[in-house]
Amino acid sequence: MKPPSEEHDLIRWIDGEMNETERATFEERLKQDPVLAKEARQMRDLSTSLRAHLPAEMRVPHADYFNTQIEVRITQMALDDTRAKQAAPGWGIMLQWLRQPWFAMAGTAALAVLGFFLLSPGTGDASESMILSSYTPNTHVQARTYHDTGAEATVLMLDGLDAVPAERKVSGIHIQRSEVEPELASTTMFDVHGTPVLMISRDALGNPMITPRG
Amino acid sequence: MPASASTDPGEVSDLDLVKRSQAGDTRAFDVLVTRYRGRIYAMTYHLIQNETEAWDLAQEAFIKAWRALPTFKHDAGFYTWLYRIAHNVCYDWLRKKKIQGDGEFDDERTEHRVAVGAEATPKGDLSPDAAMTNAELGQRIQQAIAKLSPEHRQVIVLREVEGLAYEEIAALIPCSLGTVMSRLFYARKKLQEQLHDVYETSI
Repeated sequence: MKPPSEEHDLIRWIDGEMNETERATFEERLKQDPVLAKEARQMRDLSTSLRAHLPAEMRVPHADYFNTQIEVRITQMALDDTRAKQAAPGWGIMLQWLRQPWFAMAGTAALAVLGFFLLSPGTGDASESMILSSYTPNTHVQARTYHDTGAEATVLMLDGLDAVPAERKVSGIHIQRSEVEPELASTTMFDVHGTPVLMISRDALGNPMITPRG
Repeated sequence: MPASASTDPGEVSDLDLVKRSQAGDTRAFDVLVTRYRGRIYAMTYHLIQNETEAWDLAQEAFIKAWRALPTFKHDAGFYTWLYRIAHNVCYDWLRKKKIQGDGEFDDERTEHRVAVGAEATPKGDLSPDAAMTNAELGQRIQQAIAKLSPEHRQVIVLREVEGLAYEEIAALIPCSLGTVMSRLFYARKKLQEQLHDVYETSI
């Protein structure tokens, strides 16, 4: 075993960390000590090979998926943060999902309007029906809602929407609660009977995906 | 410390992207991820020596960076800052592996797996590069590095791959300059032992 000073001298010589005087002195020592000289040169060759064979940059496998997963997890963290702040856990998550820029891609039809409502059963008061979030390609469209006790339905009002052809079917989904699956970065929504009706997630390419369930 | 990637004149600077990311722009952060994922992944791969784990840890580093963005003060380059995070993520992981008693990174392990086709006998007067192909040598080096302890692998990667000065390595780990030099010496010594058939002939 070498004394630490000798080890350090050897390392500093290999790495070019010695000043001129130190280097000259050390190289003089190498001339006197063939064993040390051999070790020094072998270690220097090894160092050269390491630098040549350990790339500082590598191709990332499935690079697009790498990015997508990061975005999903960042989104999920935002949802979790919001959820922690919400009095009614679960709804805030859905709200954040729908606020994400990428979610806009889900809207394919020009008049597509997506709304989710929260309705507390029992009292039938209009204030208990609310829009958690909505998306429409036309940002001038304002959505509001109320609960019609007579019809036992939530009515969605869309102000500013162009005339909708009569044959166009517009519908909403009554969501009672939602559950988040962090591993899959997905949110499943349930109706009043506890039946899953919709799942929001992303496909392998990172595109938003809304899957009817049940 | 590692320098940031060179940017084209028309390319958005790290500073702009970081500011936008700090304001919550995930698209700007996505550009930063794309810009640095190859370097961060290389670092995690060299330290962990497992493609899947390195991939996950590189992701973890970016996610931690996103969370820590509000604290980023622009007094260091973004990559330098990100690199520190990635390094700490890897080192924490390695430490956990060690605590769990996983022998994968045990210096004392004597198993000596040699790649199929790799030369395992002295080469007479051939130089290392002539004695085996570049690819074979690269594979042998990766195998040898995989057998180092986390501490030894760490200094090798920081010095040989990232080109950090001793002082920078000491600050990053953190440890004393003497420890950095000692670890470098023993790390190289162990690599030399494992690759003795290659380097025995290089004098």
